[in-house]
Amino acid sequence: MTKRIIRVLPYIVLIIWFLIVMFPLFWTVVTSFKNPIDVFRGPKYMPFIDFRPSLKAWNNMFVRDRQQILVPLMNSIIIVSTSTILAVGIGSMASYSLSRFTFKLGRFSNKDLAFWIISQRFIPPIAIIIPVLIMFRVLRLLDTRLGMIIVYTAFNLPFVIWLMRDYFDSVPQDIEEAAMVDGCSRLETFVRIVLPLAFPGLIVSFLFSFVMAWNEFFFALILTFQKAQTIPLLIAGQSTQRGVEWWNISAMAIITILPALLITLILQRRLVSGLTLGAIK
Amino acid sequence: MFLRRIKAKHLFLLPAVLVLLSFSIFPVIASLVLSFSSFSLTQVEERLTFVGLANYTKLFTDARFLFSLKNTFMYVFLGAGLQYVLGLFLAMLIYEETIANRAYRVIFLIPMMLTPVAISYTWRMMFHETYGPVNHILSLLGMPGVPWLSSTKVALLSVMLVDAWQWTPFVMLALLAGRMSISREYYDAAGVDGASKLQTFAYITFPILIPVSLTVILIRSIEIAKIVDIIYVMTGGGPGISTESLTMYGYITGLKQFNLGYASALAYTLLVIVMVFGFLFLRIRGRLE
Repeated sequence: MTKRIIRVLPYIVLIIWFLIVMFPLFWTVVTSFKNPIDVFRGPKYMPFIDFRPSLKAWNNMFVRDRQQILVPLMNSIIIVSTSTILAVGIGSMASYSLSRFTFKLGRFSNKDLAFWIISQRFIPPIAIIIPVLIMFRVLRLLDTRLGMIIVYTAFNLPFVIWLMRDYFDSVPQDIEEAAMVDGCSRLETFVRIVLPLAFPGLIVSFLFSFVMAWNEFFFALILTFQKAQTIPLLIAGQSTQRGVEWWNISAMAIITILPALLITLILQRRLVSGLTLGAIK
Repeated sequence: MFLRRIKAKHLFLLPAVLVLLSFSIFPVIASLVLSFSSFSLTQVEERLTFVGLANYTKLFTDARFLFSLKNTFMYVFLGAGLQYVLGLFLAMLIYEETIANRAYRVIFLIPMMLTPVAISYTWRMMFHETYGPVNHILSLLGMPGVPWLSSTKVALLSVMLVDAWQWTPFVMLALLAGRMSISREYYDAAGVDGASKLQTFAYITFPILIPVSLTVILIRSIEIAKIVDIIYVMTGGGPGISTESLTMYGYITGLKQFNLGYASALAYTLLVIVMVFGFLFLRIRGRLE
């Protein structure tokens, strides 16, 4: 009997964890279809069974509050995609350089340089945000899309450099040398030969950086006020206006998490292998 | 050819170094300078006055700072510990290459990809004492309701649980990769010797996973030390200041009250703690290898 319990225990644990992971998502979706009364009358779980679903929140979002949501949404899309492209571009160049050439600066070599770069990721944002705020004020970059693009490029750069190094290390050097013998310059070789070979790495870097910038909150909280506000800020500000309207917040939350959710599901195994590679090194 | 090589090598690295210089080296140095000065954005004329160690001496007599320091340590130690134990347990359950396990891996990964601010609202809703489902489900199971967000003692735990919900997948993923890279031969040998599953784990799997474990605990600890998003949305630092973290308090002093010098001293203290912590961890890891 005990043996039997031990045998099924893993499955029970997995199912419980599965429920813990999925229930908040389910709850957000369900709440977005509720009328206020069904939110405040204690928990209702199943549409059509214990409450009558309504499209009120979705209607609010796409019709009534369209302008209020459209601006941050466009900001997020523009800021996040531009900064991600920049981070992946600049980051792969740096990463390629670190993978191919030897740097020496006194006692420090490539390994130290790479470590220094990834350690930037660990600096608490609060320790750099105040000088950046002052710098942005002087340069008139506060509350601008350009300012946020620059910040998010810097934010994702260490991760891209770190991740891409493994991919570049695995591209055979003979191919590049052959290309250069044929008269390609370093840059041409990089763009035409190396990048296509490291394509899986580029995809993982791009999507993961995209998600991290999309989810970022603290920098945006301090460096934007209105014009360049991103989606996480719009959501975070919801509890102060008109009280807490859970149905509207839920609909907004779904829109916010949707891109990341789609990316995770589309990439699946590539993401798992790409991230584990980065995590273990 | 040689000349071009040198040029290419530096040109490729230059943009990244420039960005990192202006967004980490420069601000880190500027923060240090600010932390020794009094600087306020609300003054009509902005002036930087050097005040020596005044900000730091004030900091260590500031009860609210010490409290947020304690909270941050609680989040880091209990949070990282919880995430490690859960992550290890889950990784050991799904390392085998089966179709079901592949599905579990992807599904379990989802929370870490989601916007913290958005899911914090979801959890705030779920933890609501009267119309949230968590207490309702507990009552169906015959358990008493928990004051998730209104009790000063429990609220800290609630924040920790949400962070664990979101980031246990990361720990799981790293340990999963570690487990999958262990050669089968060890286990075959253990099987021949008649070792039990628990023994195999204790004497083979776990020791091999120690370096990965240390790395992943270090990464999570450093990330948790910066915790602010979940707190901002779920509790706003409250009830009272019971869930306030260092970053949250730094935000309030620096960016709501515009005490930039004081906030910089606070931020620098956090930076030094994180650096010392990271350094110690790397030393331990270096010893083990």
